[in-house]
Amino acid sequence: MSDAQRFLDPEAIRRIARLELRASHVVEGFLSGMHRSPYFGQSIEFLQHREYTRGDDLRDVDWKVWARQDRFYVKQYEEDTNLRAALLVDASASMSYGSGPLGKFDYAATLAASLAYLILRQQDAVGCMTFDAKARATVPQRTRRNHLDAIVRALDGSRPEEKTNLEEILRHAAEAYPKRGLIILVSDLLVDREGLFKGLRLLRSRGHDVIVLHVMDDDELDFPFSGPTRFEGLEIDHRLSCNPRALRQGYLEALGAFLEEIRRGCASNRVDYVLLRTSRPLDAALAAFLSKRMEVRKK
Amino acid sequence: MPTFLHAPLLWGLLLASVPVLIHLINMMRHRRVRWAAMEFLLVSRKKNRTWVLLKELLLLAARMSIVAIIVLMVAQPLLRDQLGAVLGGSKTHHIVLLDDSFSMSDRSNGATVMDRAKEAVDRIGAMVAAGGDSRTFTLLRFSEAGRGGRRTQPDLLQEQVDSEFRARLRETLKTIQASETAAGPVAPLEAIGQLLGEGEDETRVVYLISDFRKKQWDRPEDIRSRLAELRAKGVSLHLINCVDARRPNLAVTQLELTSGTVAAGIALFMEVEVRNYGGEPARNVSVVLEEDGHARPAVRIDEVPAGESVRERFEVTFAAGGAHRVAARLDGDVVTADNYRYAVVDVPLEVPALIVDGSVDQQGAFFLSAALAPGGNVRTGLRPRVETPRFLDDNPLDAFPVIYLTDVEHLDQRAVKGLENFVAGGGGLAIFLGPRCRAGFLNEGLWRGGEGLLPLPIGGESALFIDRLDNAPDLDVVDHPIFRVLGGQNNSFLSQIKVGRYFAAPKDWKADAESTVRVIARLRDGAPLVVERAFGKGRVVAWLSTAAPIWNNAGSSPAFVVLVQEMQAYLARRVEAAAPLLVGSPIELSFDPAQYQNQVRFVSPGRDGAETTAHDAVLKEDNMLHARLTRTDAAGVHEAQLLTATGMVDARRFAVNVDPAEGDLARLDGSQLAARLDGVEYAYHQADTFEARRDASIGRNLSDVLLYLLIVLLVGEMLLAWSCSYHPPETRVAAPFGRGAAA
Repeated sequence: MSDAQRFLDPEAIRRIARLELRASHVVEGFLSGMHRSPYFGQSIEFLQHREYTRGDDLRDVDWKVWARQDRFYVKQYEEDTNLRAALLVDASASMSYGSGPLGKFDYAATLAASLAYLILRQQDAVGCMTFDAKARATVPQRTRRNHLDAIVRALDGSRPEEKTNLEEILRHAAEAYPKRGLIILVSDLLVDREGLFKGLRLLRSRGHDVIVLHVMDDDELDFPFSGPTRFEGLEIDHRLSCNPRALRQGYLEALGAFLEEIRRGCASNRVDYVLLRTSRPLDAALAAFLSKRMEVRKK
Repeated sequence: MPTFLHAPLLWGLLLASVPVLIHLINMMRHRRVRWAAMEFLLVSRKKNRTWVLLKELLLLAARMSIVAIIVLMVAQPLLRDQLGAVLGGSKTHHIVLLDDSFSMSDRSNGATVMDRAKEAVDRIGAMVAAGGDSRTFTLLRFSEAGRGGRRTQPDLLQEQVDSEFRARLRETLKTIQASETAAGPVAPLEAIGQLLGEGEDETRVVYLISDFRKKQWDRPEDIRSRLAELRAKGVSLHLINCVDARRPNLAVTQLELTSGTVAAGIALFMEVEVRNYGGEPARNVSVVLEEDGHARPAVRIDEVPAGESVRERFEVTFAAGGAHRVAARLDGDVVTADNYRYAVVDVPLEVPALIVDGSVDQQGAFFLSAALAPGGNVRTGLRPRVETPRFLDDNPLDAFPVIYLTDVEHLDQRAVKGLENFVAGGGGLAIFLGPRCRAGFLNEGLWRGGEGLLPLPIGGESALFIDRLDNAPDLDVVDHPIFRVLGGQNNSFLSQIKVGRYFAAPKDWKADAESTVRVIARLRDGAPLVVERAFGKGRVVAWLSTAAPIWNNAGSSPAFVVLVQEMQAYLARRVEAAAPLLVGSPIELSFDPAQYQNQVRFVSPGRDGAETTAHDAVLKEDNMLHARLTRTDAAGVHEAQLLTATGMVDARRFAVNVDPAEGDLARLDGSQLAARLDGVEYAYHQADTFEARRDASIGRNLSDVLLYLLIVLLVGEMLLAWSCSYHPPETRVAAPFGRGAAA
């Protein structure tokens, strides 16, 4: 495991109690793993060199060029496009499940805080909404550095309790964040798929770019249970006593169908979809975000 | 229906409910998991519910069956061979034939072969008793199988097997010991066939428990045919060998008088024979002797080579007349019964010898009398009686063991007939010829073309010419008991006998090789001088010259006394000695009703002292009273006490001995036995391992079948459990959806 991955490892993250510290830890670790310091300007994308004129910030002078050509050039970065990102974090009862160092909600909250930190470091605006059956906390999109505190408070203040109603939530998000931007949905998606896809279509129709970060626990993906077990539904009021190994194959088939349906649904709506295991580092989610960020800038 | 050897263990079938209990306990011990992805679980359950339920029920049934089968295997289910038995409709009859010959007393490690055999019987009893109802049991010892007119007496005959059966069997076994008989398996195999009939309505299992000594199986044809007969009737045969190894054994195989006239006060020679049945030579063997219950100096034998016999001679003198008991005993070895040998010597005060002399001067009788009873200090026990030929006409001859005819010119036909009856009955006849003899009478009256007493035809008188150039003796004898004592190159007595005249045989006469006629002494010119023949049970010796020193000088020679004494002893013995009485054979005697009453008491030796039985003698067609002791169970001297008409007791003694051949402990192993019983289907067991394989003895043991079924069920259970995923993997399940980040 590289140093960067070590910072992103859920086991290491679990030891950090405060969410904002987790976020900085994750993001710094992630970025240090990419290259030394790509964020030294006001933007993250270098565009071109321009000859120095009076008034330019000396910090922008490219001293290497001066050394080679004996001329002063300043580096120009891509202009800040004022990216508006919204983090929709599922805080329904099903997100309370967790078998590893981080539960699904902990993982989702850490991920959301990390993304917010990263976005804010790029001078972009970020907002946040936690929800279950309805929106529980809504933080507007801001670019201020200290805005992270508001987001973290919203995440910290949420406890997974009720059922999810994503169609309603996504509709609400479309209204809460009317300007076109990037919507990042962090959820286990254990919801009515039809409602989910309707909501995603709505967001896309409003001009939003959408990333779905699908958080699943290892147990949910692998179903490793053995021995007589009584399963009690977290969102469904149902109890099932069974030999889990006897049902494993059927479970995995149903799960596979579910994941495939989600994947197809997202693809058909041109929504980026990332399946995340709670036991794995968060870099996949961050990389997915950065990839999407570049697409947005190019537009 | 199958039966069970250990029926009480069937209570263990309750253990089959244990898997159900474990299942119920597990139901109560469910782990509780609050689960988010419930919908997939419910889908899976809906899809697999029926199949999973079926597999789980099958798994539970398999586990219950496995427990039940293990219990059944321990309980040993048995299925009888016959279809009728399978259906439970017929009886099973277990017949144990137990060898109790004395070789079964072979002892090692503190236990006899008989003890092992009884243990085997007890185990069979246990097995039969565990088998349930409809079973009968017969126990027959070899020695109790009816033979020679005796009834077969099984210890248990078609005994119903009930709850008390084992106790009865054990009580019976306590009373059973190795007998002193040499009874073989033929008689009991015959006896059960006769005793039990066809038995079509029952399944029969015969157990032949024996030590399988080679001697008894050297001629196995009889045994094989009887076993094959039983097998043809569907009887299951089990041969159980109780011997694990061959052990060395010494036996006293003979104790007998060797020669001489038996009479009170006369020194006699007896011989004792010891045989070594072991594989190593036996050294410094001491044979303890008893004479009428009194110890005599022991006979010591330096070495008895392995597999051979050694005879030792000893002298006895019985001062008084009567039936004397002589016993020989060896020091103890593995088999006791053949260490003893008994003999009864009937010693008369005197032995009368009849001399019939046809000459006027009776010179022949004179010299014969002198040779039979020289007088003075020399005691021979013989009392010669000289008579004329007329004596033979109307006098009983039975009182004389041997009759001498000398120089008899003629005998009436009645006298010849009487003499023939006498010899045919076992008497001895010595014929000396002389000047009065005529070839015509000799040939027609005594030879009668070979049918009469005279061993050879007579041609006529002849003279032996003196050959002064040749110093060869006149007599040339063969090795024969009469001449043996004078044999040897250094013995000059025979060479001093000179013969001048004799009756010659026809020139073309030769002894028929197939007859009993034998020339035992010839003259120098090759002419027969002494010729013998057997006649009925007795013998005749013809001396073709005179007894008196008329035609020869034998009568005046010291050798003549020896020759006559030897001739007396030789002729007094019957051609075929009475077969020795062996343990198990009957004692028969006949006596004159004019002299004796019809009541006889037999006093027999027994394990716990003498046993007395009273018998009534039966008058038969020969006008003699006959009494019979049907069985002799022990070796020793048996006594028949007759009551005379005047009320006096007249005791007759009989020595009964074990069959020494039974002491040969060479045994057959399974393959040797199989070679002798080729073509007969049977099961062979060693007694020690019989219990482990007892299943086969009373029917088909289903344990093997159950074992295979158990293996199949165990494999099925494994597969089912694996299919139901009750067997957790050794490592964590491989992730079906990659643990990597993106899908």
